[in-house]
Amino acid sequence: MEKSQTMIPNLVASGLHNKATSADPAMPAVVFYNLSDLLGCPVRYEDAQQPFAYLYDIGGSTLTAYPLAAALELTLRKGRTHAFIPWSAVLSITVKETVVRRTTDPAPTADFWARRDVLDDQVVDVSGAQVLRVNDVHLIYSDNKLIFGHVEIGLRGILRRLKFEKALNFLAQWLFDYTIKDSFVTWRHIQVMSPGGVPGGLRVDRLSDRLADIHPAELADILEQLGVKDRQALFNSMTVETAADALEEVTPEFQRTLVSHGEPGRVADILEEMPPDEAADVLRDLGPDAQNIINRMEDEAASEVQTLLAHKEETAGGVMDSNCIEALAGDTVASILERIPKLTETVEVYNLIFIVDEKRILKGVLSLRELFRAPPAATLDGLISHELITVNPETRLKDVAREFAKYGFQAVPVVNAAGILQGVVRYDSVLSHLADILND
Amino acid sequence: MDRWKKWKSHLALFALVVGPGIITANVDNDAGGIATYSVAGAKYGYSLLWVLAPTCFLLVLVQEMCSRMGVVTGKGLSALIRERFGLGISFYLMIALFFTNLGNVVADFAGLAASAEIFGLHRWWAVPVGAFLLWHMVVKGSYRTIEKVFFVACAFYVSYLISGFMAEPDWKQAVKGSLIPNSAWDSDVLYMIVGIVGTTIAPWMQFYQQASVVEKGIPLKHYRYSQWDTIAGAIVVTIVCYFIMLACAATLHKNGISIADAGDAAKALEPVAGRYCAGLFAFGLMSASLFGAAILPISTATSICEAMGWERGVNRKFTEAPHYYSLYTVVLFAGAAVALASSKAMLIPIMIFSQVVNGILLPVIIFFMLRITSDKTIMGAHTNSRWFNIVAWGGAIITASISILMVVMTLLK
Repeated sequence: MEKSQTMIPNLVASGLHNKATSADPAMPAVVFYNLSDLLGCPVRYEDAQQPFAYLYDIGGSTLTAYPLAAALELTLRKGRTHAFIPWSAVLSITVKETVVRRTTDPAPTADFWARRDVLDDQVVDVSGAQVLRVNDVHLIYSDNKLIFGHVEIGLRGILRRLKFEKALNFLAQWLFDYTIKDSFVTWRHIQVMSPGGVPGGLRVDRLSDRLADIHPAELADILEQLGVKDRQALFNSMTVETAADALEEVTPEFQRTLVSHGEPGRVADILEEMPPDEAADVLRDLGPDAQNIINRMEDEAASEVQTLLAHKEETAGGVMDSNCIEALAGDTVASILERIPKLTETVEVYNLIFIVDEKRILKGVLSLRELFRAPPAATLDGLISHELITVNPETRLKDVAREFAKYGFQAVPVVNAAGILQGVVRYDSVLSHLADILND
Repeated sequence: MDRWKKWKSHLALFALVVGPGIITANVDNDAGGIATYSVAGAKYGYSLLWVLAPTCFLLVLVQEMCSRMGVVTGKGLSALIRERFGLGISFYLMIALFFTNLGNVVADFAGLAASAEIFGLHRWWAVPVGAFLLWHMVVKGSYRTIEKVFFVACAFYVSYLISGFMAEPDWKQAVKGSLIPNSAWDSDVLYMIVGIVGTTIAPWMQFYQQASVVEKGIPLKHYRYSQWDTIAGAIVVTIVCYFIMLACAATLHKNGISIADAGDAAKALEPVAGRYCAGLFAFGLMSASLFGAAILPISTATSICEAMGWERGVNRKFTEAPHYYSLYTVVLFAGAAVALASSKAMLIPIMIFSQVVNGILLPVIIFFMLRITSDKTIMGAHTNSRWFNIVAWGGAIITASISILMVVMTLLK
């Protein structure tokens, strides 16, 4: 039990006086326990010599940042029956024995059970944004309170539970002068995933307010590592915006499960939030369920996605945004500048203005910078200077990528055979497609 | 028209889900498997063909539970075992799995060496180059491509079908042998039967199939298609076994040639069945060996990392998942090295050891699987039905006693 005090810098704040261990009689003693050392230990009544039960599990209450033990689960000596007692009945707890007083008080319902829900299970480490498997739990015993301090995730916890810790540590010391290190995460950063033993019975008490701070790619990583029910519970607890960001990042396989397990109305909301080409990618892999979701999307988003779905995936038409800033050739610079805040609101490509005639035939492209520099009274057709580079909806993405490489565009307009503007392909849509090719 | 539409949508969904069952079953036909089936055919002719149908049934029974667990929980088998039965049990289970899988990898590289030599490539060329290529493909992150390649490579097993036909079997006898168990019941025959069942249902398959199902992210409502996948895989693998046995029965058995492994079989086929038949047989062996040697190390690393809670996955970098890549590399290269360094005489005790561990491990895993698939808190509404449980426990007890029998008989031999 030679854990250093620096392990729990925040405990003072949570109301635990851990200045010193038992040396100072005025201060309550602080003892560290490993859950694995406590489980299976005998439990006796204060007025008896022989144990009547063995410790099976410890239930925690999550009202505080560091949960407190609220109840114990015991296996009775006779048969395989289990009994529950409230923590208030516990007089002392050590790795040798637990002493309790006789009580008729019912045990309170715990928010989680250490053995059933935490030990050997997956938890989410909110600060490191990763999914961990718990090898052991560190408990702090002080003032007859049992506090959940850390989860242990390293090799040392594994070795301890396999009863190899001492032998291997001795060997490592003797041979290499190396101490096998503890590796733990403070409980403040831990989200227990399946409290109540019900997979998916997640109470996202730690995660909900922090989800938005986690990078979408890391969120996706967390989602991919969890089991079906925990994954869905976490996904459902996200706001529509966060869910859209995360969904964009997970692999197509997991996109499919997340979407097909989700409630169609909510999924529709999430897809509306995503760039249309990404949303179309999700729907494309979905088979017959896709239509059900499209029906629930708002008309504009739905029609945009449907346009994309009508084209082949590997073509410009399959990834283009049909929503872009369009302006008539006869418009003046001033009138466009006035409308810019409104025009840029719903488009992904906000720094290019596509100039068309009355028939929506594309005449030219103007960057926002050029627009700012132009005299306010000038009409747009007078400003068009460069040669117009376009692609067709059927142009393969590989060829679109070549255009990007050649001209260094951020986006390229898509026109049909008649020259009518269809949409715009973003650089990053092509990039993510190329990344897929590279990964294969 | 309406029916056609319905079929089309079934097919589209099946296409999304298909893979894990068929790939697992086909890797199952690796070098060790081909050896067992060839020896069975050469030694007992058509008389053991009937064993294959019940084996196929047991295979479906076991593998279906895995893919169901995978779809319902989204977790691999070793994670479920760890969560349900604790660290201690999982740890020792993983050690056993490591060694039996390593034995399988050795067999695969030995198969690669044997088949390469038939085509005139020296083993000291074929094995190191093969091992390094496989390692490179996985570590450089194109496992997805390999999987696709192998999915196509499953088609190479057709070569066994063709060589089965080219061997011109006596179809009347074959049908008789497939339907009526009338072999002489001595301990040798029993050992052979046990060997066939044991090599067809191996512990790594449960871990691998469940992991692939999880990775494919198959939604629960499409689970039915996953069942088709499992059944299709088992049927394909059984047909291939059938034709291997048939080819060896029609030629080697008829001419009284005895063989010890799959390489022998390919060589022995040449004078009696012709160059092309032997060539096809050797080609099948080579692709099976490579397939097995690619997938088993990955499966081993995945299962162990999942049980121990280490980062895993071929799409992570070495520094992100050091345990995973170390395990993968060790299993792959240790397997190749042992296969290269050992003479045929030395390989036999290694194979026996691997089969013994295999035989002990399988009943344990099946027992855990039955416990997990009957657990409502894990499987929800998808626990085994009462009838399934009766059949499954029956099948499991048969499989378990067969593999224990195999252990006992191997040790007595």
